[in-house]
Amino acid sequence: MRIAAGLLIVISCACLLSGDGGSLVARKQTGPFVISVFAADAPVRAGKADLSVMVQQVSDESPVMDATVMLRLTKATGSAVTEVAAPATHAKATNKTLYAAQLTIPSEGAWRLSADVAANGTNAEATADLNVMPPAPPAERYWPYIALIPFAVFLFAFNRWLRRRRQFLTPRARP
Amino acid sequence: MNSAATAALTSWNLDGPVSAVLLLLCAIYVRGWRRERLLIHRQSDSLRLTGFLSGVFVLFVAVESPLDSFDGTYLAAHMAQHLLLMMVAPPLILLSHPVLPLLKGLPKSFVKEGLGPFLTWRPLRSFLEWLTAPLVAWLLFVASTIVWHLPYCYELALGSRVWHGAQHASFFWTGIVFWWFIVEPGPGKSRWPRWAGIPYLLTADIVNTALSAIFVFSGRVLYPSYAAVHLTRAQTLSDQTLGGLIMWVPGEIIYLIPAFFLTMRVLTGSKRQGEYIVRQARATRAGRRSLAANLARWRRPIQLAMLLVSLLVIADGFWGPQITPINLAGILPWIHWRGLSVLSLLFLGNLFCMACPFTFVRDLGRKVMPARLRWPRQLRNKWTPALLFLLYLWSYEAFGVWDSPWITAWIIAGYFGAALVVDGLFRGASFCKYVCPIGQFNFISSLISPREVAIKSPQVCRSCQTYDCIRGNEQTHGCELYLFQPKKSGNLDCTFCLDCVKACPHGNIDLVSITPAQTLTADPYRSSIGRLSSRTDLAVLVLLFVFGAFVNAAGMVAPVVMREHAWHASLGMDAMPWIVGAFVLVGAVLVPAMAVSAAGFLSKISWRGRKVGTIVRRFVFALVPIGFGMWAAHILYHLATGWNAPWPALARALAGTAAAVALPAVPSWLTPLQILTLNAGLLLTLWVLWKVATESAGQVRAAVALVWPWMAVSVGLYAAGVWVLFQPMQMRGMMH
Repeated sequence: MRIAAGLLIVISCACLLSGDGGSLVARKQTGPFVISVFAADAPVRAGKADLSVMVQQVSDESPVMDATVMLRLTKATGSAVTEVAAPATHAKATNKTLYAAQLTIPSEGAWRLSADVAANGTNAEATADLNVMPPAPPAERYWPYIALIPFAVFLFAFNRWLRRRRQFLTPRARP
Repeated sequence: MNSAATAALTSWNLDGPVSAVLLLLCAIYVRGWRRERLLIHRQSDSLRLTGFLSGVFVLFVAVESPLDSFDGTYLAAHMAQHLLLMMVAPPLILLSHPVLPLLKGLPKSFVKEGLGPFLTWRPLRSFLEWLTAPLVAWLLFVASTIVWHLPYCYELALGSRVWHGAQHASFFWTGIVFWWFIVEPGPGKSRWPRWAGIPYLLTADIVNTALSAIFVFSGRVLYPSYAAVHLTRAQTLSDQTLGGLIMWVPGEIIYLIPAFFLTMRVLTGSKRQGEYIVRQARATRAGRRSLAANLARWRRPIQLAMLLVSLLVIADGFWGPQITPINLAGILPWIHWRGLSVLSLLFLGNLFCMACPFTFVRDLGRKVMPARLRWPRQLRNKWTPALLFLLYLWSYEAFGVWDSPWITAWIIAGYFGAALVVDGLFRGASFCKYVCPIGQFNFISSLISPREVAIKSPQVCRSCQTYDCIRGNEQTHGCELYLFQPKKSGNLDCTFCLDCVKACPHGNIDLVSITPAQTLTADPYRSSIGRLSSRTDLAVLVLLFVFGAFVNAAGMVAPVVMREHAWHASLGMDAMPWIVGAFVLVGAVLVPAMAVSAAGFLSKISWRGRKVGTIVRRFVFALVPIGFGMWAAHILYHLATGWNAPWPALARALAGTAAAVALPAVPSWLTPLQILTLNAGLLLTLWVLWKVATESAGQVRAAVALVWPWMAVSVGLYAAGVWVLFQPMQMRGMMH
């Protein structure tokens, strides 16, 4: 019983063990830098998007820590051009060697991503095409939490069944 | 240290929910460890505690430290993380013998009723015994190590949060089952001889060495994702080699140390020492002051502090700038007071009524006011507060009460005046019991609180001749809400004033732990209340409380607000109060009336001989948890988004300085937390409904026929609540 209890209780840790899986969406070597752009979630969806930029020296692969980075997304629809831009900073990044920004992408479709980097008097730019998907409906994002309800109901029903079964199986003491 | 190294070391991936779960786990273990230690004292107690805490700390480092931030960039960091998850955290946790302390740290009734049937279920026990059998555990551990390092699986994990989580979870769990045989944390012994642990460890080490050697000597890039990050192939290979060495050298040491000790034990024939001392149970608890007695001592100082804050809020509301985000009356009552009240109800009990500043002023007023009249018999019910509560639901949105510091100040001042007049003229706590809508909100909410003011021993009460808890004595008066402790059940009508605690000469009243909402499952005679199933006024108040939660939250989400404004534009300038009034009337009166009537009629089909009204009154109280869940989810939203809002207002009110106004921000953990809160409410409601139905119907089949309409109502409310939580909601006390 205690082995069972131990393993069951420690299962509560399962939810802790998650990792992050940033995807590389652009990479370019320009001048003395190599610029890589990562998206926290793949595919990128309309709405809030976490993008981060790594700037490295070509010579020794060391990260450039004092750059100014601007992330820009543009989308041309006919003659109209929509642009979303935000400065990327270390403060907004979990990995402090990266520069991160949170951009609100207004619509899905084909966007042009550019990361403008200025460091040590040198300017560089990395660009890429970004296919932005429609925003995920809330139910798609949060369904695991809602699914806890039927799971808990199942566990409760199972618990009741086990208890009834145990009562049925336990021989009653004779008077 | 250069800036890149500093940045790397500060790249902690701190995740609130993960840290909270780890802390909770530690708290449960420490609680259980302390309880166990009161009974049995072992020499290794401190070592066990240290083992568990350090094991959890290693887990924390693995999932929250820079290792986690860099695992997608450097293979070496990822290998170090895997090493901690597989070979360091599991044995440390198992060395703490976590089973008994963790079980003892949980509420006893939950372990017995909730976990007990599972823990004693033979197929599950057999499966877990099979899982921890050395051969199976070894195979699982080795398979997990090899499979996840195959390039396809590894790349899958790097590209997906879900697969990455699965990878880490399987490393940790196979680590637990692998080290189980070596540590033997349970009281039972393995059927395998101890020496079998030596080849067990050494063969696992051989697999680990072979895998590490592939990393170090293969000469080709195994994982293309790392090649995409590094600039040259040589740099990628150098990272890969370092990763292999981390896996190889520390990994080998971790396998060889226990193998060495096992060898020594086998050779010397020594056995584990099990010295322990059985202590006299709970000896150290004697003479300790109870929680209720401590709270009772602090009640007046807390009330005084609340009074000062209230006066500050009133003054700022009357004479401060009428701009909500920088006025204390626009922030503290609507965001913080409500939020903290809900938190206290959730984790302890009705602390707001205990700290009520209105009753503090009332008690001062009674020094000069007579308080000799009896509250009119016709008004000794909950109809007045029910009407006031409905009025609150309507006026809150119709007149933007939350957005007017001036009106807020008037409401608070009016509250002081009403409490003073009512209780200055009438005996007892008539204001709290028959008038105050805030009090009713707290009374109903506290039905799901985990603590109750209750007697400790019925035998002591049976031998009591003086009944000080209700009559009072020279030092203090008895319960002013006429709750006679031996007949009291649940927190309904209890203001947590703790006068009964002070009055009881036997020290037999305390804040007792209870199962939340359990008091709703039965319908005994309750002192000063009667049976819940005979109280129509209380049932109506509960319906207003439950459906009002959804109406109140829905009234501030974008689709509803936009619809109201569209009608406002077409109906004219003065139409808004009428539009909101219609919304509240439909949502909080008509819909609940129709829903519970339909449920009552449907239940009557299978419960013949009972009137619909009786059925409704019996079941409607079961909806309290989901109602409270919605109130909590909604109010916590305002608390989480506006927790830092008072500082600019305080700086302006106290120092006259203009400070930056708090900017609205919705933390990413908030919606999941809101859904979980609502989930807890629904599950408690379903549980209470089931208990009521089985108690009433006797058999399972009949209970299902009786309860399904009520479960349908609950699920309907839950669906409405989830819809509301998914909508953009107005923030309060902030600049938009």
